[in-house]
Amino acid sequence: MGLTLHTSNERETELLGRCLSGFLEPGDVVVLSGDLGAGKTHFVKGVAEGLGVPESVTSPTFNILLVHPGRLTLYHLDLYRLERAEQLEDIDFWGTLEAGGVSFIEWGDRFPEALPDDHLDIVIDREDVERRRFDVAASGERSAGLAVDWVRTCGQQEVPE
Amino acid sequence: MTGSVRDMTLLDLDSVMSIERASFLSPWSEGQFRDELARLGEGRCWMVVEEDGRVIGFGGIAVFGDEAHVMDLAVESAYRGMGIGRRLLLSLMRSAVEGGASRMTLEARPANMAARALYASVGFVEAGTRPGYYTDTGEDALIMWTPGLSVEAVEAMVTADRGDDLVLAIETSCDETAAAVMRGGRELLSSVVASQVDFHARFGGVVPEIASRKHTEAIVAAVDEALAEAGVGFKDLTALAVTHGPGLIGALVVGVAYAKGLSLATGLPLVGVNHLEGHIFANKLADPALEPPLIALVVSGGHTALVHVPEWGVYHTLGETLDDAAGEAFDKVAKLLGLGYPGGPAISRLALEGDPNAIAFPRAMLRSGNYNFSLSGLKTAVITYVEAEKRAGREIAIPDLAASFQAAVIDVQVAKAVRAAEEYGVEAFCLAGGVAANAALREGLRVAMTERGIRFSVPTYDLCTDNAAMIAAAGHFRLQRGAFLGLDAEAVANLALG
Repeated sequence: MGLTLHTSNERETELLGRCLSGFLEPGDVVVLSGDLGAGKTHFVKGVAEGLGVPESVTSPTFNILLVHPGRLTLYHLDLYRLERAEQLEDIDFWGTLEAGGVSFIEWGDRFPEALPDDHLDIVIDREDVERRRFDVAASGERSAGLAVDWVRTCGQQEVPE
Repeated sequence: MTGSVRDMTLLDLDSVMSIERASFLSPWSEGQFRDELARLGEGRCWMVVEEDGRVIGFGGIAVFGDEAHVMDLAVESAYRGMGIGRRLLLSLMRSAVEGGASRMTLEARPANMAARALYASVGFVEAGTRPGYYTDTGEDALIMWTPGLSVEAVEAMVTADRGDDLVLAIETSCDETAAAVMRGGRELLSSVVASQVDFHARFGGVVPEIASRKHTEAIVAAVDEALAEAGVGFKDLTALAVTHGPGLIGALVVGVAYAKGLSLATGLPLVGVNHLEGHIFANKLADPALEPPLIALVVSGGHTALVHVPEWGVYHTLGETLDDAAGEAFDKVAKLLGLGYPGGPAISRLALEGDPNAIAFPRAMLRSGNYNFSLSGLKTAVITYVEAEKRAGREIAIPDLAASFQAAVIDVQVAKAVRAAEEYGVEAFCLAGGVAANAALREGLRVAMTERGIRFSVPTYDLCTDNAAMIAAAGHFRLQRGAFLGLDAEAVANLALG
């Protein structure tokens, strides 16, 4: 199943994240991929807004994991600085994903074998300076349900594969 | 030092009563003091400070089990603000722990800011209120408690006041495993950073990084090396200091767990230091005369914060980055230009050969009216520029790009720093954190501040990046403030500065 969404500026990207937050359940894992400047952190800012996270969400690149308490605890991970899959254990990667919150993993595509079986994949592409394209793919039953709910409610268009 | 401390006797009562009456709205009666002095053997301890044969201050405690309650404390008005109350409290504290107490408590009037500041300066923390406690005014009382105290902890505070304390500091908040030994908060006896080449060569294969495991492997050797270089052993130390946040949790826990273990094994008291406070204290090492009120700009791979410091230990964060930290923006642009990651220093080197006005990158948040920063838009602008140039088939002048990008970052930082310094009317400004090693940022701020008659401080290069010397300097200050960590203390990834 492949679904595609578009946004035409940064605020729309945040709103798309905010809309997704309404469908999240404990244990959900979302993997965000895309080049530097694609808007991964901005998307998570919108998710945090929707989860009622009071503090501002900043880039987790340096800290690798930032934890934001909200309606559901938001675990914001960034694997950019990790060099080897074995380092995932050092940051308690799997324990974090199973801690009962929702996890958003930037640069998660660096370690595909480490990702849980059922997760939502979002690939963000820069179409031009402002516009972004979101390719959404689910890898299991739960993520498929999440994707459909999200895209149906928030998407401007739906392109079945 | 003014005055000497000794036990109170009945002969002091006249002087004590005159200070008591001059100090309080509802003074104790002489009979109450007589009752207290009659119970000196039963967990009561009363002391006076004497100057030229005259009593100028007094205080007393009652010990109930493991709790000591401060009953009364006053200093003659002409002698206030000279550290006499502090010495009295430390003497009473020593007597309390020798009498079996492990915590101390007292009530303070909320409006009495001088008293609250005095109590906070020896470790009392506000823990609640007693409604309507003061019958004369109907005011609530603030209840204050110290953290857990030991004979060693109180001794360490007294030693730190003398400037003789020897602190072993440990820092593992992110990529570096570091240890340092310092005397009196200023005399650096050793500073070991495990990624340093000489250390690496001797201990072989230890490349500290993200992994907790790597900190675990390096920390024992780093501490041993710091002690050996300083020529001291655990028995010579006064206290331990450790970074307990903010940072990467897996890295922080290694330092905190190791420091707690050392504290338990050696009996040395342990204080916790905020990593950002450490960066600010690096300036005190570089410039011992630096005094608040000041504005500090802390810029590193993980932090970008503008902080107002009205006095040491009080921090008001005026603004922070809303997205990427300054160092992170440098590193990511370097990566984009194929200069490797992290590549901040490479950008700065290339910028030297480039024209900072070549490309007009946005100055985000320059006119936002607040002190926050945003750097992700600039990062995206660089990406957009590079792509457009590639599409047009033009060669990118990397030095010009580096110089223009760097100028866009620095312009905003300098403008906000200057505005903060002027708004808060400070006479000193300090730059801290890994990005403080950036020569253009140092120079930009130095010129802007000195033009306005504001003292400008920046640490030496080795004290800009993460190290334990700065944690030792802040640790000395925390020790004086009695900010002890118990063995139940935990690392806090998002520890707030303040």
